[in-house]
Amino acid sequence: MAKGVLVDIPKCIGCESCSVACKLWNELEWDEQEKNKTAIDRAKEPNNGLWPEEWTSINRYDLEKDGESVARYVKAQCMHCEDPACVSSCFSKAFQKLPEGPVIYDQSLCVGCRYCMMACPFDVLRYEWKKAIPGVRKCQMCATRVANNQETACTSVCPTGAIIFGDRDQLLAEAKKRIKENGYVDRVFGEKEAGGTSWLYISDTPFEQMRFRTDVTTKPLPSYTEGYMKATPFVGVGWAAILAGLYVFNNKGKEPLD
Amino acid sequence: MELVTTVVSRAGAKMSSVRWKFRMTPMRWVFTGIAAAAIAVILVRFVLGLGATTNLNDQWPWGLWISFDVLLGVALAGGGYGTALIVYVLRRDKFYPIARSAMLTSLLGYIVVVLGLLIEVGQWFNFWRPYVSWGHASVLFEVFWCISCYTVIQILEFCEVGTEKVFKGAHKYLKKAMPVMLIIGITLPTLHQSSLGQLFYLMVGKVNPLWWTAFLPVFFLLSSFFVGAGMIVIESTLAGKALNHKVEIPVLRGLVKISAGAMILYLMLKITDMVVRGTFANAFAFDLPSIMFLSELFFGVIIPIIIAFSSLSSTRKGLIWFGILTVSGVIMNRFDVLFTGMGKYLNQYGGSYVPAVSEFIVSLGLVSIACLAYLFLAENFNIMGNHESEHADDITIKDGKYASTAK
Amino acid sequence: MASKVGRVKSLSRRSFLKFVGGASLVGVTLNLTGCGKPITPDKAIGGNGWMPTQYNAPGNWPTSVRGRVPIDPENPAIVRDDQKCILCGQCIEVCEKIQSVFGNYELPIKKEFVCVNCGQCIQWCPSGAISERDDVNKVFKALADPNVTVVVQTAPATRIGLGEEFGMPVGTNVQGKQVAALRKLGFDVVFDTNFTADLTIMEEGTELVKRVTGELHHPIPQMTSCCPGWVKFVEYFYPELIPNLSSAKSPQQMEGALIKTYFAEKKEVDPKKIFSVAIMPCTAKKFECQRPEMNSASKELNDSKVSPDVDVVLTTRELARMIKRSGIDFASLPEEEYDKLMGTGTGAGVIFGTTGGVMEAAVRSAYYLITGQQPPAALWNLTPVRGMQGVKEAAVNIPGVGDVKVAVISGLANARKVMDQMKAGHAPWAFMEIMACPGGCEYGGGQPRASSPPSDEDRNRRAASLYNIDAKAKLRNSHDNPEIKQIYADFLTAPMSEKAEELLHTHYVSRADDFIPKKSEENKLY
Ligand code: SF4
Ligand code: SF4
Ligand code: SF4
Ligand code: SF4
Repeated sequence: MAKGVLVDIPKCIGCESCSVACKLWNELEWDEQEKNKTAIDRAKEPNNGLWPEEWTSINRYDLEKDGESVARYVKAQCMHCEDPACVSSCFSKAFQKLPEGPVIYDQSLCVGCRYCMMACPFDVLRYEWKKAIPGVRKCQMCATRVANNQETACTSVCPTGAIIFGDRDQLLAEAKKRIKENGYVDRVFGEKEAGGTSWLYISDTPFEQMRFRTDVTTKPLPSYTEGYMKATPFVGVGWAAILAGLYVFNNKGKEPLD
Repeated sequence: MELVTTVVSRAGAKMSSVRWKFRMTPMRWVFTGIAAAAIAVILVRFVLGLGATTNLNDQWPWGLWISFDVLLGVALAGGGYGTALIVYVLRRDKFYPIARSAMLTSLLGYIVVVLGLLIEVGQWFNFWRPYVSWGHASVLFEVFWCISCYTVIQILEFCEVGTEKVFKGAHKYLKKAMPVMLIIGITLPTLHQSSLGQLFYLMVGKVNPLWWTAFLPVFFLLSSFFVGAGMIVIESTLAGKALNHKVEIPVLRGLVKISAGAMILYLMLKITDMVVRGTFANAFAFDLPSIMFLSELFFGVIIPIIIAFSSLSSTRKGLIWFGILTVSGVIMNRFDVLFTGMGKYLNQYGGSYVPAVSEFIVSLGLVSIACLAYLFLAENFNIMGNHESEHADDITIKDGKYASTAK
Repeated sequence: MASKVGRVKSLSRRSFLKFVGGASLVGVTLNLTGCGKPITPDKAIGGNGWMPTQYNAPGNWPTSVRGRVPIDPENPAIVRDDQKCILCGQCIEVCEKIQSVFGNYELPIKKEFVCVNCGQCIQWCPSGAISERDDVNKVFKALADPNVTVVVQTAPATRIGLGEEFGMPVGTNVQGKQVAALRKLGFDVVFDTNFTADLTIMEEGTELVKRVTGELHHPIPQMTSCCPGWVKFVEYFYPELIPNLSSAKSPQQMEGALIKTYFAEKKEVDPKKIFSVAIMPCTAKKFECQRPEMNSASKELNDSKVSPDVDVVLTTRELARMIKRSGIDFASLPEEEYDKLMGTGTGAGVIFGTTGGVMEAAVRSAYYLITGQQPPAALWNLTPVRGMQGVKEAAVNIPGVGDVKVAVISGLANARKVMDQMKAGHAPWAFMEIMACPGGCEYGGGQPRASSPPSDEDRNRRAASLYNIDAKAKLRNSHDNPEIKQIYADFLTAPMSEKAEELLHTHYVSRADDFIPKKSEENKLY
């Protein structure tokens, strides 16, 4: 069963338990500078608060809602696309989408071309620029935990249920129910975005004001290059055959060039 | 500087000796200097990592090295396969005099690309992974296989020239394999030149619509083809000065005309593409992308077409202008796709990228190395078409040792 | 020639296919033999760490304790070091169950994290991740400045806590050594907050009498206002009960206001050059001193350059840190006396430091204020309001008034229950003492951590020590304090005089708009 996580943005209180859980479970290093940043700081950073050692970030957006200024906390991490661009873009297959949902990355296969980083529609991939032997870093959706029938580290610690783990289908239904009940924005971000993602977001404030890429394509990204890659071998062989033919034809009766 | 390599048999008897010469001019010293600086930076890069030597960051995972060393390197080296196609497959024999030098430029270009890639990727020691761990859905997979195979093919092709001087015994085998190598050597670049464009097609919504189109592969392929002529003109002019060897104007003019033909096709496709996707408004918005886009087309394509089909192309000056404009146009195009095309998206939350000085040093250093190699090879092998290589007896070297003496 | 060409052609096609085929074959073989195997979850990066066992369960498995309290990075009282947090959930446990703060509001939050700054989460956090906001450096800086007169006051409860930081038994009274240490650190004047505790009793007691007699049109019961955590709690959750809060400031703020007016005037010190520090057992005091209302001296003197009445609040732990950092051998310090003017307190003042103490002190003086006579000895040992129960009730017979019912509450969850009853109309008391922290200030959020989570055993020890000081005190009634008499004679004229109102009383603000209060029990957060 494909798993997923539902993020109910209005329910998040910004306690950052989730990001600490991520650090604990993945043994991510603490950086003095990052530690002292606030959710407001992170929301303004070019990289959305995600760093090689921060796979998830709670970002605060101060918005207007019904004439009142309100704050919303948004958890950022890899969306775990259903049909991920990172997987299809990797020429050495270092990424993989597991049937249970997580999109995982094996550094031992990685060449380090960073095409995945360019391809990811949500710009969540980070690179260890400071290391001599760097790898790509991102949320792995606690692949081993999920494989062992445990929920992801972050959802397991959320005190308010702002992030819940479950079967994606059920979560999607739940999301739609909540949208109706609570008068949220009528959109489950992740239902169709980039062909659908394992992580689903619902909100009572406009997504575009919280750095969501609302104009992202709804087609799975790999579909953009699939046809090209399928055709390549045939085009290649065909083209070679044509060239061979031309070669023979044009060289007929002529001295070969040396 | 002259160097004599002597092949000595195990017993110590002198079997043959080959004369290598390389004249150091001030320009060549400059090249050597830049190359040395680049090698120093490269060493630092391997010890301390990319962060220490580049300004690349998580918003800009690709920067100067990818765009200059790879995108551009491959495009500019495109002259090789184009010439091979014209000369060997289509048998337009009048262009034969430039064939070898064009193909040598291409080979050196690709070696620079491969070297550049090894420096640019994070886990360079894993370069072989895609041979066994097939990410066959990736356009880059195709690029990788093609570039690596093509480089090998080109090396073999060059060996056919090289064995005229050393390892002469292998020459006849290589000569026999030449047709196959030529055909593969044209097929592969056509594939990967277009794939380089297709790479960007995956970045849906990130690249400015002026450049992001389903025609990307065709545009990359065509431009790599027509830039070949421009490169040959420039290169033969420069090499002509350095090596005292001039290619005749009619040869170049013919080439330029073929190239301009491809340009017309390119231009028509561009216009069709703009009509189909309705990007005229973007093109004439006169903001930075639009200005870049228009000048890329105007200076890099339209003016060269005019030069090619007017009497201007019968003068060396006109030809040189054609070369400069075409090459600049393609340089601009490749930079535009990445920098101008993606700048707005990648910088939307305050990201920024300006290549570091060290990045420029490495890029220039690689070019310098290529230039030095070109000059060396052109001075020592039969590249320019003036047959001066010694015709010594075939010597099969099975058990040879080298002894070098500098003079 | 033709045959040669033919050979070339066949050669080309065959080799080409051979090449492609061979390459694919090699690839496929290598793929099958392992190099290209699909990645299994264990190959993924990360995932080798540790989490408390309660979390290693399938999704929506019931877990009693999840996560931790949210802490605003701007919180003036408490900070958290994420690196030390182990997600044990203890902070949420105390905040929600003992203090009834977390989880008592609806989501979404509007702007701020609801927090009363009580600091109990500090006492419960096993890894020391949560701590007070460290203001030690500000004080060191002021001490180093020769142009500044640094005046310090110490709360009733710090004297029975500080010694623990230096290895003394829980509850050891180190009043004299504390004064000596402060002098050694370079504080110019050392005052005792016990003095203003006594003053609070005079003001609050007078207010109570006025409420009872109807002279003041404010509702009864009157509720104490010396605990800033409690005050903020009322402002958040029970704004309709704000009128029940005594308008008297907390002892800390009274002392602060008087330091910059009364002391400055008497000792002819420029109030602009006074730096007023308070050593408190409490983190909420850090919030309190930053409240905009708390700059009466500046208002009174009509000089905007006078800084807030209390410039910096240090917790007992921070004072201990200063002493340790300065390399002072605490145990061998002599016993010293507080400075005169505002340094004398009574036994009634010192028991402010534990739950029930304010009530006991208030009853002693109320008796005097109503009857004009000294309270009987029974009121010097008001056992019903002593001890660690969350809610205590007593009835005190005061001649002429009859039985006066009082209530003493500590711990905000207890307070919430009583407040809900009050809202429902059940409020038989005349006076109520409420402290945010269970046990009162002696185990406030700024006290040394005797045990984690705090135990009633340690609370009782500390309380016993305070009661012991009271029992041994020469003066046990606030109204007997000679310095209190002096200040009314010299400066304030009388309790609740115009000047006293200006300097010693305050007002409160509703914080109901900062969040959405919880609607009903079913709407629990999770
Ligand atoms: S969000 Fe990006 S990194 Fe995550 S699965 Fe999708 S493409 Fe991959
Ligand atoms: S743990 Fe839950 S409530 Fe806390 S920051 Fe994360 S998502 Fe928000
Ligand atoms: S200080 Fe008190 S109210 Fe604030 S989070 Fe801690 S326990 Fe809760
Ligand atoms: S009590 Fe301390 S360690 Fe435990 S969850 Fe709270 S902050 Fe973290």
